Amino acid sequence: MSIGRDEVVHVARLAELAVHDADLDRLVEQLNRIVDYVAQLDRVPGDGAGELFLPGPREVALREDVPGPVPLTRPPGELAPEFADGFFLVPRHGAMEEP
Amino acid sequence: MSAAAVARAAGERLAAADAAGLNATLHWSQPLLDAEAARVDAMPAPGSLAAVPLAVKDNIVTTDMPTTCASRILEGYVSPYEATAIRRLRAAGALVAAKANMDEFAMGSSTEHSAFGRVRHPLDPDRVPGGSSGGSAALVAAGVVPAALGSETGGSVRQPASFCGVVGVKPSYGRVSRFGLVAFGSSLDCISAFGRTVDDAARVLSAMSGHDPLDGTTLDRPAMPVPEALPDLRGLRIGLPKEYFPPDLHPGVAAAMQRTRAVVRELGAELVEVSLPHSAYAVPTYYVVAPAEAAANLARYDGVRYGQRRVGPAGDIHALYQATRGEGFGPEVQRRILVGTYVLSAGYYDAYYRKAQRVRALIAGDFRRAFDSGIDLLLTPTTPTPAFRAGEKTDDPVAMYLADIFVCAVSLAGLPALSLPVGRSDGLPVGAQLIAPFFEDERLLAAAGALERSVAADAEVR
Repeated sequence: MSIGRDEVVHVARLAELAVHDADLDRLVEQLNRIVDYVAQLDRVPGDGAGELFLPGPREVALREDVPGPVPLTRPPGELAPEFADGFFLVPRHGAMEEP
Repeated sequence: MSAAAVARAAGERLAAADAAGLNATLHWSQPLLDAEAARVDAMPAPGSLAAVPLAVKDNIVTTDMPTTCASRILEGYVSPYEATAIRRLRAAGALVAAKANMDEFAMGSSTEHSAFGRVRHPLDPDRVPGGSSGGSAALVAAGVVPAALGSETGGSVRQPASFCGVVGVKPSYGRVSRFGLVAFGSSLDCISAFGRTVDDAARVLSAMSGHDPLDGTTLDRPAMPVPEALPDLRGLRIGLPKEYFPPDLHPGVAAAMQRTRAVVRELGAELVEVSLPHSAYAVPTYYVVAPAEAAANLARYDGVRYGQRRVGPAGDIHALYQATRGEGFGPEVQRRILVGTYVLSAGYYDAYYRKAQRVRALIAGDFRRAFDSGIDLLLTPTTPTPAFRAGEKTDDPVAMYLADIFVCAVSLAGLPALSLPVGRSDGLPVGAQLIAPFFEDERLLAAAGALERSVAADAEVR
């Protein structure tokens, strides 16, 4: 399969990358070389129904899906000058006034 | 020796390495080194790494020095938090001496893709030290620090360890917390260790290892103890995967491996030929999976949240993203983001990404079958050639990727492995790779310790 200039421009837009016109021909050539190289995976026998890979033992990848508290690297009291009763204390900006 | 004296001596060596043009460091200063030493000298019981100066690859976050990943896009960025590995090493008494140069965002095999200039090989400045952790490897090889941190996604510690003639150990995936390692390929990334000796690297690995609630992929098992080197290799069955000894292997590497096999046999191990048929597809699999994960992970560098910002000609938010990323990322990072985005895009996902994930499972299955058949460890060359010349592969990305042909499969399977120097070919180091089953990092290090004692790492082969 070959990738053309338009496809590279489209993928660059998806990736939010500005690609200069002057670099396009080189990029097209290099991406084609890479994609041609990885296309050899088509030669691996199999009907495509095999298991997908999970890194490490299954106990890591598929642990109980129970939400819990996320430990912070620093206690919240260290993130702001004042913290009390579970709230960050900020300077008063003004008061609500009766119309 | 006090930590203060160690810090002064380390500073002198770092300055000498910089003056010699090694270009292996990105950030260090004597005042910061002195502050590290004062902290360690004040510790009541400094621990297993008391006053050991370490270099740290610049993709592992520290709060006292910038973390740039050798990229313009993160130039000057200082993390507000510290990596778990760094926190544990400091608690064990280590001095964080310097941040080491690397391939930008850990993408490369030669440390020529750093935005801040290439790292020179300590034995031949015209050659590369390997990559992507080339700065860390060069600093250990040059004797500047006894040990260093690198990171592996597809061999980025074992390959430079082999090129530079030092020990490089990649732990099992999940053994060392990735919290604070700048994400590249999250299902592959491992903080890893370099040492002048197996024991040096094992001590660093041990101090960093163990469960971390801040990284959900670390295993809930205790930290790894530092294993004692085995007296010999009697009783071990060591597999030689035939796919890793091709007929066109560099003659110096082939000769070093032949000599290593003889030493392994003399130490009492039984050598058995095995087959890992899907390893032939490791590099193409890696160059689908890793860029796909990288494209997602590097989406966060948009000029809004981190580092440098450029305003594009159209003046809108997309122009800002595109200009920042277009100017901030170097050519190799851009190539990989484009490949990753392409293989994940509609119409191509099944053909590339899903297929690669299935082949990845087959590669891991080959290793599992070999170990289930009674093989204790596998022995292979780490790299197909010794260190190559700078500029030799920079115009051909696929040729560069093939420098990782013997190290990629292990990363895809999440296994522990190390590179041990086993000889020199025309003066350049050659490394042998030992691979162990998942979470058998201690077996790997204990056996490597025995081999290290008996192999003539500095002796010429051929």
